[in-house]
Amino acid sequence: MLTLSVFFPFVIALVCAVLASKMQRYTGLLAATGFVPALLLALPLVGMPAALPTRELTSWVPELSLSLLFRGDGFSLLFAVLIGVIGTLATLYAVSYLSADEKFGRFYPYLLAFGGSMLGLVLCDNLPLLYMFWEMTSITSFLLIGLWHTRGAARDGAVKAFLVSAFGGIALLAALVMLSIAGGTTTLSQLNISAVQASPFFIPAMLCIILAAATKSAQLPFHLWLPTAMEAPTPISAFLHSATMVKAGVMLVAKFGLIFGASALWSAILVPLGLASMAWGSWLALRQTDLKALLAYSTVSQLGLLMSLYGLASDEGRFAATAHLLNHAAFKAALFFVVGIIDHETGTREIPFLHNLRRTMPITFVLALLATISMAGLPPLGGFISKELFYEAMLHRGPAFIAVAVLGSVLTFAYCARLLSIFFMPRKLNNDPLPPVVEEERRKALKKDIHEAGPALYLPAALLVTVALVFGLWPQLLERLVRTTENSLQFGALTEHLALWHGVTTALLLSIFTWLLGSVVVYFAPQVATWQKRLTPRWNANTLYYQITDGLHDAATWLITRTQGLALPDQLRIMLLAAGLMATYAVWLSPQVFHPISLPLAIVPIAVLLVGGAIGVLLSRNRLTAVVVMGLTGFGSAAFFLAFGAPDLALTQLLVEAVTVVLFLLAFRYLPGFRDLPRTRGRLLLDSLLAAAAGVGATLLTLSSVRFLAPPISPWYLLNSYPGGGGKNVVNVLLVDFRGFDTLGESLVVGMVALAVVALVRLGKKGEPNPNKPATSSLHVKEHPEESMPVTKEVNP
Amino acid sequence: MSSLFAIIIGILIAAGVFLLLSRTIVRVVIGLSFISYGIHLLILTVAGLNQSSPPLLTLPGPYADPLPQSLILTSIVIGFATTALLLTVALRAYQVAGHHDVEAFGDNLARGAHGKGERADPEHQSPDAPEWTENVSELRASTSVPPISTPGEQP
Repeated sequence: MLTLSVFFPFVIALVCAVLASKMQRYTGLLAATGFVPALLLALPLVGMPAALPTRELTSWVPELSLSLLFRGDGFSLLFAVLIGVIGTLATLYAVSYLSADEKFGRFYPYLLAFGGSMLGLVLCDNLPLLYMFWEMTSITSFLLIGLWHTRGAARDGAVKAFLVSAFGGIALLAALVMLSIAGGTTTLSQLNISAVQASPFFIPAMLCIILAAATKSAQLPFHLWLPTAMEAPTPISAFLHSATMVKAGVMLVAKFGLIFGASALWSAILVPLGLASMAWGSWLALRQTDLKALLAYSTVSQLGLLMSLYGLASDEGRFAATAHLLNHAAFKAALFFVVGIIDHETGTREIPFLHNLRRTMPITFVLALLATISMAGLPPLGGFISKELFYEAMLHRGPAFIAVAVLGSVLTFAYCARLLSIFFMPRKLNNDPLPPVVEEERRKALKKDIHEAGPALYLPAALLVTVALVFGLWPQLLERLVRTTENSLQFGALTEHLALWHGVTTALLLSIFTWLLGSVVVYFAPQVATWQKRLTPRWNANTLYYQITDGLHDAATWLITRTQGLALPDQLRIMLLAAGLMATYAVWLSPQVFHPISLPLAIVPIAVLLVGGAIGVLLSRNRLTAVVVMGLTGFGSAAFFLAFGAPDLALTQLLVEAVTVVLFLLAFRYLPGFRDLPRTRGRLLLDSLLAAAAGVGATLLTLSSVRFLAPPISPWYLLNSYPGGGGKNVVNVLLVDFRGFDTLGESLVVGMVALAVVALVRLGKKGEPNPNKPATSSLHVKEHPEESMPVTKEVNP
Repeated sequence: MSSLFAIIIGILIAAGVFLLLSRTIVRVVIGLSFISYGIHLLILTVAGLNQSSPPLLTLPGPYADPLPQSLILTSIVIGFATTALLLTVALRAYQVAGHHDVEAFGDNLARGAHGKGERADPEHQSPDAPEWTENVSELRASTSVPPISTPGEQP
């Protein structure tokens, strides 16, 4: 069941890729079935929690201690079901969201492959496998973010996300290697925890895990990848940034907190890191005008909250974090869907352009309102409950922590209000009318006829909002779900219960204080905005990223232009000189063996063919002559092979010779003449000297190599060819059996060359004009492909 | 006998190197073929040249050494693949650059840094709809490949 739920999405992905051209947008309905096994994991989770954890083992590469080992404990299953739910909803939402000319054959398979990787990541119990799924989520999310790859911004966002999370992936690999050495096994649940904690690898492994989690979960300063990852279509953003990709780091911290939580350093790093990300994320979210960007920074902030709670490595921290994990998934995915609806129906996501939408889109308004209330931590929604728990946990931690937590929450309250402002008339807050330029842009951006979205768009959001509401009104359900993880996350001793009303506690007072302060921030929104503009540093993680990548780019360019700036023949001359020096040394060390030159009559024609071809090609002025003369040497080689007991070689040489001639003739159709372009006198002299030296060197090398320094190994092949390889043609047996890997490599080379040749030839075919020519010449190309070849250039003016 | 072939190998390789260093691209390709002819001969020669029977166990011995033969066989095939690739690259280089002068092929490198591509704005994402560009030249133009010298630039 576990194995199936991980691999089923991949299977459906293949099916979708095949059927997408027929089913078009309805591929999504098929794609949604990919998550059905993951949804079914809810049955063991809720039905028989006593039977957990379950394990499924399929042997894969035992030599590498790599096995398909999946373990369904409470936390993993809860996470898997969460992925399944959000995945299904995002897939169904996409069906009516995407435009008809979307490449469905890419969209759904990528989405499913990502979902499958995510499921594998949360369910696997084998450390190498964990790393594999971790990197698979990096790769598949790269594909998803870069889905609209014709757009430079999407490519940039995809590359950035990939670089950052691959950087963390290396740290994760290091951590997992250290853990498996220290813990004595590659099975996560069987690691010898006390041995790990006593090992010298403990601290390095911990730091690597934190680094990996921070990159994946977009904690400071790695949050830079998250906002630009929003270049993906909104359904993907909803999937990636509510329950999956960004939560992978949170999951890592939750699972490994059970091992590393014993060290005070763990929470001493993670809690401040999480709180800082929370506060900074909500500060940045507050100044966004693009709804998607606002949600992006809000995700950074919410992840910070989760990170700080799991980072506490305490019972109440894990309890609160798991509750908030569920709440966040519900309201954040719903909000992404809502933003998608607004974008879809109005044509813009710019907050200044949108107002009074509650009249035209009442259902969307209600959904957005409820989800935002949950995000802001207001009763009676689920977000309030987990925010209270968050306050409790931070109160226990210390005054500085609760202060940052309140600050972050105040800003969260403020940006939630900003998000909702699109549904109301803004002039109640700010009496200035929009400047004429903005008004003009707004008029251009907005669709003419704005109306409510269809049910296919708002139902997924409505479902999630209902869940968020039920979590708030009926906290026992939320608690029941959170309690399924109590064994796996080891907070069973905690007696706390989830409730909207706990009596007048410090946390409640702090919440009220938060709302009051938040309202003040909202009231003074224009002043706050001016402040924010003034306080924004010019230098941030994003600019640093570009400084690094640009720096690498410039350094590489500098190096290449300095070392490879010469013309190709000059580089070749330098290489030959260097090789010549080394060969001279070798030849000088070993004495040459001269046999008196005998010339049996049978050998004379072979020698004549070989030498004649070489001289002929140097003398020929016509390319056809050159190829024919080259054939002389080829046939000479074949005859040589035949004469010295190598008929297989002779045969191959003849075949290759024939095909080569055909190849040259084909190429000559498009290539210009053969006449040597003049070399400068110095170069000609140098080249002649180099050629002569190479020739003499090759002769000397041959002469010094003809004696054996050690007994040859060939008799072994002759002896073992039949008993070992079952063949009497020893050369054949050698190729396909004893040296089979050589031949495999050779086949690969030929295959790659074939692909490269096809690609290169197709680049110049019609329909795809030569990219480096000015667009004006592309007219010719479409009608007469040959004319794009400069062979006929003289004809074109 | 091996001394004779040592000299022949020298001639083949000398011819190959001389062609390899020339400016005409077809000559470079042919030069490489000559170098591989020479090397094939070299491998077989250093294993010892004697007129023994081919290493087929159905024939009576003594047999020729099978090991260099299998190495050369691999090399012939790889050499053919290399020639094919080189010819295609030559073809493409000629189409792109508009000339067949190897010495002038590297000139685009010397022009220094290429563009670094479009940047994603973290605060304003692109519109949420695909813009599939059917026109490939438009796409290429946006990927910051600098124009290499066009045929028109050549005298």
